[in-house]
Amino acid sequence: MSFGRFSIIGIGRAAFFAIGCTLSNPAEDLKYLFPDMTSYKEDLKEFPKLADGKAQFQALRERLGSDLDPIYETYETPYTIYYVFKNSKKIGLVHGVNVPGKGGVIQVFLSVDPASAQVKKFFFQRLESSAADQLRSKEFRNQFDGVSLADFYKHDYYVAAKSKTSVDKIAKITPPKIDPSGRQDYDATIRGIRKNLLLLDFFVYDRKFEPFFERAKQKAKQ
Amino acid sequence: MQVLIFFLCVISAAWGAETDPFVDVKPKETPETKPTGFFSDNFGFRKELMSEFGATDSGWLSSRQSAGFEVLKKFSTETKTFLGIDFQGRLVWREGFTDSPNDHEGKSRQGVVFEYHNAYADLYSLFGGVGRFNLRLGHFYVPFGLNLQTDTHGTILQLSNERNFGFERDWYTGFWGILTEDLRYDVYYLLGSGYGINFNGQSGLGAARVGLANKYLSNYGLEAGASFMGGQRLSPNIINTLRGGLDARYRRAIPSGLLTLTSEVSAGQDALDAVVAQLYQLDYLHSSRRFGVASQLRWFWQQHLPSSTDSSILAEATWYINNDVSNSNLQWLKLNCEVQFAKQTGDRHVIWTLQYYWYW
Repeated sequence: MSFGRFSIIGIGRAAFFAIGCTLSNPAEDLKYLFPDMTSYKEDLKEFPKLADGKAQFQALRERLGSDLDPIYETYETPYTIYYVFKNSKKIGLVHGVNVPGKGGVIQVFLSVDPASAQVKKFFFQRLESSAADQLRSKEFRNQFDGVSLADFYKHDYYVAAKSKTSVDKIAKITPPKIDPSGRQDYDATIRGIRKNLLLLDFFVYDRKFEPFFERAKQKAKQ
Repeated sequence: MQVLIFFLCVISAAWGAETDPFVDVKPKETPETKPTGFFSDNFGFRKELMSEFGATDSGWLSSRQSAGFEVLKKFSTETKTFLGIDFQGRLVWREGFTDSPNDHEGKSRQGVVFEYHNAYADLYSLFGGVGRFNLRLGHFYVPFGLNLQTDTHGTILQLSNERNFGFERDWYTGFWGILTEDLRYDVYYLLGSGYGINFNGQSGLGAARVGLANKYLSNYGLEAGASFMGGQRLSPNIINTLRGGLDARYRRAIPSGLLTLTSEVSAGQDALDAVVAQLYQLDYLHSSRRFGVASQLRWFWQQHLPSSTDSSILAEATWYINNDVSNSNLQWLKLNCEVQFAKQTGDRHVIWTLQYYWYW
């Protein structure tokens, strides 16, 4: 299966109700990711609809470690999560986010294992970047297979501890060969993957990886 | 000797070993979640405000003020989303008419009028596998050219269909979905009456479009398709209509933002008259998504009319206050100018339109 050819349509100009990172024809794209799927189910999530939405949005910012862009990453932005089934068995979960890149929108989609929340596939839907070809390369994207939000929190810990360790999966990610002008889009991509996993942790897993965040936070305070 | 090697291994392992600070940290259990209710489960609601003023070089003035909403509800079983319903409604107050590019119907809708725009239902994956046959029923964009995948609900610049057929939305039913790995399709029967559900002896229209699959947009920034439409429509009398058309939109990142080139070209017949329509548009959006400019060239030709051509060029500048990538939170101020080169009926004008739009 070639994920370099995989695509999910941009939502920027969809001719119907506007939902963040929605697939205009989800079946077309999910079928490509999961050839043996038999159905899918959509789940629309919005911070304003959560009982403690403002606090959750603030918590997202804290865990992301950077400000949320007032144009690209608003409180009102809706998110659609796709649950993929083979008969009655849940075989995948797909979710996309927008992040600002140097040249414009970068849409980062992840397919994750429903039980472990680990990345199964990472791919771009929309990538307005001069480094698009390098960032889309399979060699770069495949490095994220098996990564979870816990790995990002662990990376924060090791950075705070100023320790290099072979178990830091994020530190081991090798950037594609891009010229300095594309570095901003590489950083935005990493941020997009983290943001995507964070939103899944908030919306689907009830902050499954929070203990890892707390441990990293303790270290940062020391 | 063996004992010495064992001790050396133990010592070297101890020196090289890394203590895992997360060895005692485990992920939390995720509780089972259940759908919570009609309005909280896959229910979207958006509000809309629009304030628009028009002026022409001959001194005509217009005002169009509106407040509206959009509702989307999707229905699912435990394993499948099977139905989506969308409705857009607007209460509009108009005074005067300047024929702004997005308000041709304003001439016949003066005063306060409630309008519906989208009003349709989609039934997903009815048979033939996931995504193969999806049924649509209701009032939506005419399935010809790029309008099916272009949201012109709030914009001033429009595509070709309203000028080409007399309406940009119609009542229809039919199927859409996956044709092959590279192509998608739309096939519908349209009532041919536009805004209202009217039967006046017309047979209706058959329409089909075959377009490139999503992957071409994602990987190459390209959308393209071929459309066909034939049958009878009301405008306001019955008109035998035949059209074939090609469309394309190409999006390309440049260092400071995004360029988008759009084109729709079609030809055919209205009754005994040959007709040709062309539209070309260039958009630039700064990477901050704070401002953009656009220009559009429109050219419509119909045989046997005393003055056969409608043509104009439009220029537009937009300042975005909110410009969410997903179009879910938009707020802008647009200034649009249309210079008409030729008119089939009436005088040529220069039309200025100033619009404030908020969708949230």
